[in-house]
Amino acid sequence: MNWRIIGTLVSKDLSLFFRKKLIMALTALGLVFYLVIYFVMPSSVNENLKIGLYAPVIPPVFEQVQEEGLEIEVVESEEALKEAVAEGQYIAGVVLPADLMEKFQSGQKPKIILYFTPDAPEEIKDAVEVLIKELAYLQTGQTLAIDISEEILGPDMVGMPIPPRDRLRPLLAILIIMMEMLGLANLISEEVERRTVHALLVTPMTVIDLFVAKGITGVGLAFVQAVLFMSIVGGMSRQPLIILVALLLGAVLVTGVGFIIAAVSKDFMSVLGWGVLSFIILLIPSFSVIAPGVITGWIKILPSYYLVDTVHRAANFGSGWGDVGINLLILLGFSLAILWIGITVLRRKFQ
Amino acid sequence: MARDAILAEELTYHYGELVAVDRISFNVAEGEILGFLGPNGAGKTTTVKMLTGQLKPKAGKATLLGMDIARNVEKVQGEIGVCFEEINLYEQMSAVENLRLFARLFNIRQFDAEAMLRRVGLAGREKDRVETYSKGMKQRLMVARSLVNRPRVLFLDEPTAGLDPASSEAIRSIILEERERGATVFLTTHDMMEADKLSDRVAFMNQGKIVALDTPHNLKQQYGKRALKAKVTTESGELEEREVTLDTPETPSAVQKLFAQNKVVTVHSEEATLEDIFIKITGRGLTE
Repeated sequence: MNWRIIGTLVSKDLSLFFRKKLIMALTALGLVFYLVIYFVMPSSVNENLKIGLYAPVIPPVFEQVQEEGLEIEVVESEEALKEAVAEGQYIAGVVLPADLMEKFQSGQKPKIILYFTPDAPEEIKDAVEVLIKELAYLQTGQTLAIDISEEILGPDMVGMPIPPRDRLRPLLAILIIMMEMLGLANLISEEVERRTVHALLVTPMTVIDLFVAKGITGVGLAFVQAVLFMSIVGGMSRQPLIILVALLLGAVLVTGVGFIIAAVSKDFMSVLGWGVLSFIILLIPSFSVIAPGVITGWIKILPSYYLVDTVHRAANFGSGWGDVGINLLILLGFSLAILWIGITVLRRKFQ
Repeated sequence: MARDAILAEELTYHYGELVAVDRISFNVAEGEILGFLGPNGAGKTTTVKMLTGQLKPKAGKATLLGMDIARNVEKVQGEIGVCFEEINLYEQMSAVENLRLFARLFNIRQFDAEAMLRRVGLAGREKDRVETYSKGMKQRLMVARSLVNRPRVLFLDEPTAGLDPASSEAIRSIILEERERGATVFLTTHDMMEADKLSDRVAFMNQGKIVALDTPHNLKQQYGKRALKAKVTTESGELEEREVTLDTPETPSAVQKLFAQNKVVTVHSEEATLEDIFIKITGRGLTE
């Protein structure tokens, strides 16, 4: 490997990249567009807890409850309550038994059912449970044993309430990285299409030098822009090192995909075609962050899942190495494997 | 005696079942211009790819300046310049940038791109993007690029194809200047006149084999026919063409007889072209 030659090639590729007005415009507009999207999204979540209540006999204390951020609405039937919770009208539903007061008075253990929305955070569940016990205490003047049964209506997604725009951060970071996948694929495809690669291959440059240079260009462009974006939107404030590692591995991943796209493409249009297809496939896991619960476990076969999940967890929850270490290892494996495939198919094309 | 710049021994390459180059052996001396001729698909490009380190021979061996090409690809490529038939320049870069890029790849620190561009007649346009150049200008830039590292062996593939006479002549002059400098030139061309004019020796390649290799003069001597062609006035006053074959026992008497009648109007000699010889040897034309 000759680093002087690699440096020359990287400088040439960057120079050509920045001269391509279309690609440059798309990159700049993309970056601005993603930042605009981020900043126009709501920056906070509505923390007002709206709880639905079904009780054949409503204990007086439940009617009198007046707490800031807490709103209890009475529903006519248990079925209507379940439906309302499932539709997201209430973050939780409480079903009190008809004989609640009798059981309180006789010292028996009443059974209270709690229904939760799929994305109700653990903290909310705990808060509602505590609230019920508090109300029971207020009602009877003593601590009572209560049999509380929890039921999730839909898939359970434990998590903290995240502002919508922060949910978008992993998606936007990945969009930026993947934009560079197209740029890199186009740069390589053009090199093959215009046969300039033949001119390079009869100089002292080796094929390895060429791949390292292309890799550095691709990873560099994707990584720098994603880091820039994440820094501007505050995504690096928690666990910056983990996010940097994840974005770097993501950049390696898209560089590998870029190599594959360049190898199977003949011109700009085919780069665009294969690129958009890859784009859509790799983007799917991002929706698991934007709309938790809508996507099932099969998305874990997509390498970008581990990038999205790591960035999401590290940036939004502050998850540490212990939490996302496995993710990063899997992402590393996927990235290296795809990069290797990309180099193999592209090398064959060069020859 | 000059050393061999290129030596090929039983060089072979095949793409699957298709034998592209079939055990060819030849040498090119240092400072020599070898014209490498043959129709499309004869195996010329594959041979050049093996000699420039782009393809590894399936069998046989080739050396360049004494180095085994397959084992010293990087060193070999540091000593050669290659001008491709198809234009493969970075068109969004200027001529100067194109040359400087390749100078850096060859690790040439003090490279005078402007002087090189003046040499190929591109002075005044050196900072324009290559995409604005005509085909002739691009071709001249391709030649300039192949000279960036002052190569000891120069591979030129159809360097004048499709160019106007002035551009072609400029490139031929550069080829001869490079030979004067001591460079060896491996010239692949379809242009028989050009090969005849520039080459010290020519090799004819057909169906993966070298079918003839010698100086143009010797090939013409060996395979061609020389003749005198004369136009004479007949008794009825019309012009008639007569031909006397040279280099035969009957030639002196035939020439004497032609001129004895004192009716010769014009006379000129004719010798076989390389194309005639190629057709005679292979039974097919170069453009087939």
